[in-house]
Amino acid sequence: MADNGEPRVGVYVCHCGFNIAATVDVEAVRDEAATRPNVVVARDYQFMCSNAGQDLIKQDIDELGVNRVVVAACSPLMHEPTFRAAAEEADLNPYLVQIANIREQCAWVHDDRQAATLKAESLVNGAAARVALHEPLDPMYAEMNPATLVVGGGIAGIQAALSISDAGNDVYLVERKSTIGGMMAKFDKTFPTLDCAACILTPKMVSADRRDNLHLMTMCEVESVEGFVGNFTVKVRQKARFVTDACTSCGECLNVCPVNVPDPFNEYVSTRHAIHKAFPQAIPSTYVIEKQGSPPCMEACPIHQNAAGYVALIADGRFEEAAKLIRKRNPLPFVCGRVCYHPCETACSRGKVDDPVAIRGLKRLAMDWERENVADPEPPPAKHDYTEKVAVIGSGPAGLTCAFDLAQEGYQVTVFERHHKLGGMLAVGLPDYRCPPEIVERDLDYIRKTGVEFQTEVELGKDFKLADLLGNEPGFGFGAVFMALGAHRGLPLRVPGEDAEGVILGIDYLREINLGRPQPTGKKVAVIGGGNTAMDVARTARRQGAEVAILYRRTADEMPADLEEVEGAIAEGVKFDYLVSPLEVVLENGRVTGLKCITNELGEPDESGRARPVPIAGSEHVRKFDMVIPSVSQQPFRTWYKGGIPEKGQIGFTKWDTLIVEPDSLQTGVPGVFGGGDVVLGPASIVEAMGQGRRAAEAIDKYLQGKPLEDFTTHVAPPDPVRGFVKAPYEHGPTYDQIEKMPRARLEARDPRARLADYETVDFGLTEEQGIREASRCLHCGVCVECQSCQNICPPDAVRLDMKDEIVELEVGQILVATGFKSFDATRMTPYGYGRYDNVITSAEFERMLNSTGPTGGQILCKNGKPPRSVAIVHCVGSRDENYNRYCSRVCCMAALKFAHLVKDRTDAELYEFYIDMRAFGKGYEEFYLRVLDEGANVIRGKVVEVTPAKDHNGDGGHLMVRAEDTLIGRFREIPVDMVVLMGAIEPQPDADKVGRVFSLSRSPDGFFLERHPKLDPIGTTTDGVYVAGCAQGPKDIPDTVAQAQAAAADILGMIAKGEVIIEPVRATVQEHLCGGCKTCLSLCPYTAITFAEDGNNAVVNQALCKGCGTCVAACPAAAITGAGFTDEQILAELDGILSPLAQEVAT
Amino acid sequence: MTTTTEAPLREPEVVTTEWRPRIVAFLCNWCSYTGADLAGISRIQWDPSVSIVRVMCSGRMDPTFVAKAFSMGADGVIISGCHPGDCHYQEGNYKTLRRVHLLQRLIAGFGIDPERLKLVWVSASEGDEWAATANEMAAKIRDLGPLEVRR
Repeated sequence: MADNGEPRVGVYVCHCGFNIAATVDVEAVRDEAATRPNVVVARDYQFMCSNAGQDLIKQDIDELGVNRVVVAACSPLMHEPTFRAAAEEADLNPYLVQIANIREQCAWVHDDRQAATLKAESLVNGAAARVALHEPLDPMYAEMNPATLVVGGGIAGIQAALSISDAGNDVYLVERKSTIGGMMAKFDKTFPTLDCAACILTPKMVSADRRDNLHLMTMCEVESVEGFVGNFTVKVRQKARFVTDACTSCGECLNVCPVNVPDPFNEYVSTRHAIHKAFPQAIPSTYVIEKQGSPPCMEACPIHQNAAGYVALIADGRFEEAAKLIRKRNPLPFVCGRVCYHPCETACSRGKVDDPVAIRGLKRLAMDWERENVADPEPPPAKHDYTEKVAVIGSGPAGLTCAFDLAQEGYQVTVFERHHKLGGMLAVGLPDYRCPPEIVERDLDYIRKTGVEFQTEVELGKDFKLADLLGNEPGFGFGAVFMALGAHRGLPLRVPGEDAEGVILGIDYLREINLGRPQPTGKKVAVIGGGNTAMDVARTARRQGAEVAILYRRTADEMPADLEEVEGAIAEGVKFDYLVSPLEVVLENGRVTGLKCITNELGEPDESGRARPVPIAGSEHVRKFDMVIPSVSQQPFRTWYKGGIPEKGQIGFTKWDTLIVEPDSLQTGVPGVFGGGDVVLGPASIVEAMGQGRRAAEAIDKYLQGKPLEDFTTHVAPPDPVRGFVKAPYEHGPTYDQIEKMPRARLEARDPRARLADYETVDFGLTEEQGIREASRCLHCGVCVECQSCQNICPPDAVRLDMKDEIVELEVGQILVATGFKSFDATRMTPYGYGRYDNVITSAEFERMLNSTGPTGGQILCKNGKPPRSVAIVHCVGSRDENYNRYCSRVCCMAALKFAHLVKDRTDAELYEFYIDMRAFGKGYEEFYLRVLDEGANVIRGKVVEVTPAKDHNGDGGHLMVRAEDTLIGRFREIPVDMVVLMGAIEPQPDADKVGRVFSLSRSPDGFFLERHPKLDPIGTTTDGVYVAGCAQGPKDIPDTVAQAQAAAADILGMIAKGEVIIEPVRATVQEHLCGGCKTCLSLCPYTAITFAEDGNNAVVNQALCKGCGTCVAACPAAAITGAGFTDEQILAELDGILSPLAQEVAT
Repeated sequence: MTTTTEAPLREPEVVTTEWRPRIVAFLCNWCSYTGADLAGISRIQWDPSVSIVRVMCSGRMDPTFVAKAFSMGADGVIISGCHPGDCHYQEGNYKTLRRVHLLQRLIAGFGIDPERLKLVWVSASEGDEWAATANEMAAKIRDLGPLEVRR
């Protein structure tokens, strides 16, 4: 019949056997449909999806001129493709077919036949109205990229990857662990054949490693997936392995790694090193270093000193290596071992257990050990041999660090120092009892060996000018300058009488004493201030024989000085007067006789967060002193500065006279002139100054090599060093509250009276024994402590501790998700005592115990090392249980029988299996069950109520009582055993939610990924081109997993063979003449498929990017965008059809 | 067994005089429609007064669909999409969320109880959730009675 364009609708109502017909009066539906506009034929049939059913449609198209088809049947997700294909075979455009879903959404969900029939009629009316407005559409085709992504390197992933690559296609096998093999690699034997798991798995693993077209990507996780079937773009995070594939698997590193952590591969029963290989046959065989972030001590240190590393080496008694490691990043190790303010200890996680590790004392021990045992430590040779010269002004910690680093880099470095002693504040600021001159000298010796030249008693601004340094006069000609002038100008109190004799600034007082110049000290000395300088001054004055009082305007709690300095001062007889501020120095005949003070109370906090001291009116009083030493703060001198270098620039100063520098490069306003240390920071600590010296060295290197001053790599300590590692030092480690307390080593101090007689060091260092014990308190935060031992020893030089994560982009056509499962956490089931009783273990732990590479080498042993005399195996732990998982985990019964066989095989133990139902459903399974029964296993049908400790007649602990109801004999039973094995449920991976989102997968109520159809498509998903296999889709055993993986591979290969994919032509288009150019749609499109054509002033949809969601169609205020297949007219017609009164209602 | 338009119309067997609430539900193809199918496969019963219209994404919901539904005789409208973060099209459901909030205020202005428009998130695995939603809405609409405001 000729098609004149008028819609001629044929309606076909399916009985689906009884499925629809039992609830819906299909004849009534047919008759109602026949009354609708444009409907030329309405039929009903037993099974529309059968060939005969489809032929009805084809016949009507041919004979009655039907040009629109409505099939009232099952969900369009089931048979829409079938009926579209039928239409196409009759030369009707397949998109002129509409399905009315009267089975899933009508017959199966309503029991009222009348209501269900009325609703079915409405739905058919809607479909008929809608289909009349359908336009023929042409499906779109896209090329199928034959490359395939397989996610998960367990047996499912390996099997599928092998099959797909066998056919000559590229496969990317992504696995987040360091080896492929998955759970199966942990097993010893497999049921029911008792094949050795490794023997059947490892050949597949090796094969996967050998294929050129199978790309193994271990330690990788998929971050995002974009695109659609045929053309996915996948971003994969390649996590740093820290070992390159140059690794030969020789295992030398295992001998030197000082870290031991619980081994996840052995279910945390045994330990392994930070550098490791999961198991001997791991693929790839490259070792891996486990790093969970960076140790907080190291992060907190401004020079990134690897504290955890040398602490671990000391714990191992490897002092020389410890000293070497310290020296790698620290040019002043002797100084830092004594006077560093140790931010590392503040950050130390051990502080969350008891007290931080005495890291500074351990550094001192390592360095002292080196002094006594290593004759002449040599710095490594310079990296380059540059001719450029660098001037460093100031020989304090900042200057020395910068000079050292630059010399090691290969520059010619000269340090200018205005005093005759080198060391800056170390020499003139710190008293000798804190920083002995021979210690500073020891560090300076080492620095001198790098070729750094020192010029003493030359002063900037007096003996030379800044411009001279950069000029070409003989002795100068420096390419860059580092200004490390320090902050040597003490700040006065700004009170009357301060200029009198008997008042001297703290910093000046210390300098005079340190330089050995004559400096009188009074008999009764007041030191004003609460910082370390005040402590140094007070304790120095005590050594000069004075009676000393420290006056501080707040209380002890707010005092900024280090606690140990305060304690030292108190021990040495320094008096502390808190909440006191000086008002005036009282003079008699020009000499100090006292200090007029006022008492404070604490008020509101100021901007530093400390309580503000508020003077109490009327509390003025005079205290008797003959000397006053204000030690409140310091600033840099700026008298040297006589203007910048006209053609180059000016140096800027803050209001505190510190240098203004670029925050990253530390460059001043004059190019090539950098600043750091106290002259920039104001009075700060040694190690902070060193940090700036290091950064300046990097900047100067860049400057001299003509590189831009950016992308700095030297470490900057975070302002709040305590980060991460909240509950435990590393994932799977014991939590802080579980760690046994162990007191921190205290450094023996000399008797305070003896201390006052000289300037010798106050305390003794740790002994080697003390040190080893103290170092063993380290918790190895983040696992790898970066001691670099493996790096130093690795024969092929494969260790790269600075390796970083990378993002790799892959283009693939299809994706198989085989991400596996996690075992039930048996601690959740408290009555069974897992985690409380030693010999209650999980099935996963028992698998490892049975394995010859496991913690017991395959022997079945109780915690006391003896074989058990009886073993209970408890089924359904976390499965078939309302409280945990309602589903059956399917593999546990057979695994438990396998265990029973192995227990019988390897021990003389009695064996009891407690089961609910014995599920031996597979090939050879029932036979295996019978065999195990024959071997003498006792099987008890009943759920275990609880496991309790039991009296042990033999006197050794760990005996257990299993209580259960035996439902076959109807009796409660108590069975004493030595070991209980809990058959834990198979559960979805804890991050299945996240993985599901990445791949657009739905999950069934049990949490496993949802297959497209539970029977007919157990491997497809609702996202075209994405498949699931293995336990990620639901619990299953190895044979089922392999079968499902093979099935997925077959589907994937079928799609590849087709070469192209059909893409539904459901796309948005802009009708340009209607578009008002408002751009509303542009921001709505999640695929940025809509662009704006400036010439036509209208939006344009890129058909290749559009996915057809219709969000823009709904939002267009001008209704200028149409969504093919789901136009406004079609949807409204369907609505109208559904809501319009039915013929029988009209009839009433 | 088959009939064509030429065949005589059957006499209606049942004459319903009782008010039959009409609720239309717009379900996104990927989560909610599949979820409703799952309810079907699982034979979870839900109220027959709810009829489903499939859209590719809940983001396709043009506000006029809701207005037209009410004017064509619907007593209630359900819109159901994927859970936030699970949208097959990344974020279409958020767009819907915004529109529905606005729409509810708008229909209230026309004298339509905003509870006659319901937005829910039903995933492909939540057949029971869909059934509960349909039943609650049907009960709610029965309480509210027929929509009297018509254009």
